[in-house]
Amino acid sequence: MILSSMRDVVFGYGNEPVIKGLSLDIEAGQFIGITGPNGAAKTTLLKLMLGLLKPWSGTVTLNRELNGAGRPVIGYVPQQVASFNAGFPSKVIELVRSGCYARLGLFGRFSKQQEALVERSLRQVEMWEYRNSRIGELSGGQKQRICIARALAQQPQVLVLDEPVTGMDAASRSGFYQLMRHDVTSHGRTVIMVTHNLGETSSYLDTVISLERKEQEGWTCLVTNSCSVHFGQEA
Amino acid sequence: MLGYEFMQRAFWAGGLIGLIGPLLGVYLMLRRQVLMADTLSHVSLAGVALGSVLHWNPALSGFAVAIAGGLVIEQLRRSYRTYSELPVAIIMTSGLALAVVLMSLKQNLAKSFSSYLFGSIVAVSDTQLKLIAVVAAAGLLYFIILRRPLYSLTFDEETASIGGVRTGLLSFSFAVLTGMTVAAAMPVVGVLLVSALIVLPASIALRIASGFTAAILISVGTGLTGVYAGLTASYYINTPPGGTIALILLVFLLTVMALQKMVRRRSRRKLHHSQTI
Repeated sequence: MILSSMRDVVFGYGNEPVIKGLSLDIEAGQFIGITGPNGAAKTTLLKLMLGLLKPWSGTVTLNRELNGAGRPVIGYVPQQVASFNAGFPSKVIELVRSGCYARLGLFGRFSKQQEALVERSLRQVEMWEYRNSRIGELSGGQKQRICIARALAQQPQVLVLDEPVTGMDAASRSGFYQLMRHDVTSHGRTVIMVTHNLGETSSYLDTVISLERKEQEGWTCLVTNSCSVHFGQEA
Repeated sequence: MLGYEFMQRAFWAGGLIGLIGPLLGVYLMLRRQVLMADTLSHVSLAGVALGSVLHWNPALSGFAVAIAGGLVIEQLRRSYRTYSELPVAIIMTSGLALAVVLMSLKQNLAKSFSSYLFGSIVAVSDTQLKLIAVVAAAGLLYFIILRRPLYSLTFDEETASIGGVRTGLLSFSFAVLTGMTVAAAMPVVGVLLVSALIVLPASIALRIASGFTAAILISVGTGLTGVYAGLTASYYINTPPGGTIALILLVFLLTVMALQKMVRRRSRRKLHHSQTI
């Protein structure tokens, strides 16, 4: 099933387009990596896919069949999350519980299941023992982990991660990739992750989207496995 | 003191504003919009002047103009994402300039303006008390019903938006509530000090609270204590309530900062002592 479909998308900053005539289909239920050098428009591509940025021209369609007739539930961990709102007066557990808000709505009560989900999410990122700490007291890597736990507690159909392992040590990174692989294989979740370290992640990924710069052609997009992608006229 | 009707009105008004102002302040501080309260109070002053010139009810015109100002700031904030403080500066100077020009159009208006600038216990009219009650009730309902999306929005607007929160609508409604609260608080604390009531309790709360709910409770508790202490003091020593309330809240903040420093020093000394043993 196609999760997101982009057709002839053009987008840029100022007067310069950074993405020109991109057509791309993202399959649901895969672990997808987006890679490329700095300034390759990886985050821009992510934001276009999610509808956070509007293309100058072309269309972006999110498949609504994944969630009945509604928009799929999307969990998002932004780039450099550790620098966001470090002074926010929140306990770790308060922040992770807020991941459940989208499904609970305004008045839904926290059930034992939800509490168990919050605990499981925190344990998965090895942060359960820090549940009563203030988020501002945590290290950069720990802040990153609780933001991942918050996204997991959301039980998203699609999990979008923009360089999520920044600040994590090698063992934590490996554990994190295994966890994402398990989520995709066992629960059918779609995980889209921007990564700089393809060597470390490629064995876990189903599909890699590589954004590269070539002398004559400008930015190009190379895809391995099952995503179909084209730059230029042909879709 | 409470035998006087005007003092009863002032205590009611102060209590309601002391409840909603510091609650709003926590969100304003965390969204890095602390100057918005100050700006909207200047805009509201222009509304009061406009009402006086056009023979409308100044309280109501100040109220309406503050809401409009909040909406304009929010719209400009979206246009100037990189320089988010710019809209605040533009609206603040525009509001003050308009107020000054409008004041000059009507003789004797400047005198009655001092009660708006510095707050006055006797300035709280029945209309204003009703307005304050409506604003406080609307604000409390707003923060209770929307506490979950507001938490997500305040932590990170982008993630909240992807998670399904209607951030645009929520931000606009928040701007409207800010305008309403500022306009309602003006008769009690005055234009120049309205942000003190909104920001100082929140800044105390953010220093000492262990969690988000605790921050809100501490902010509201501090705000109410400051308002009641300030109103009582201003009655007995005949000082403007706005300044008195702001000074008392400032003393609270300085005390908390000093106590925190003492506790930190003591724990360092204890650690040093245990290491030497």
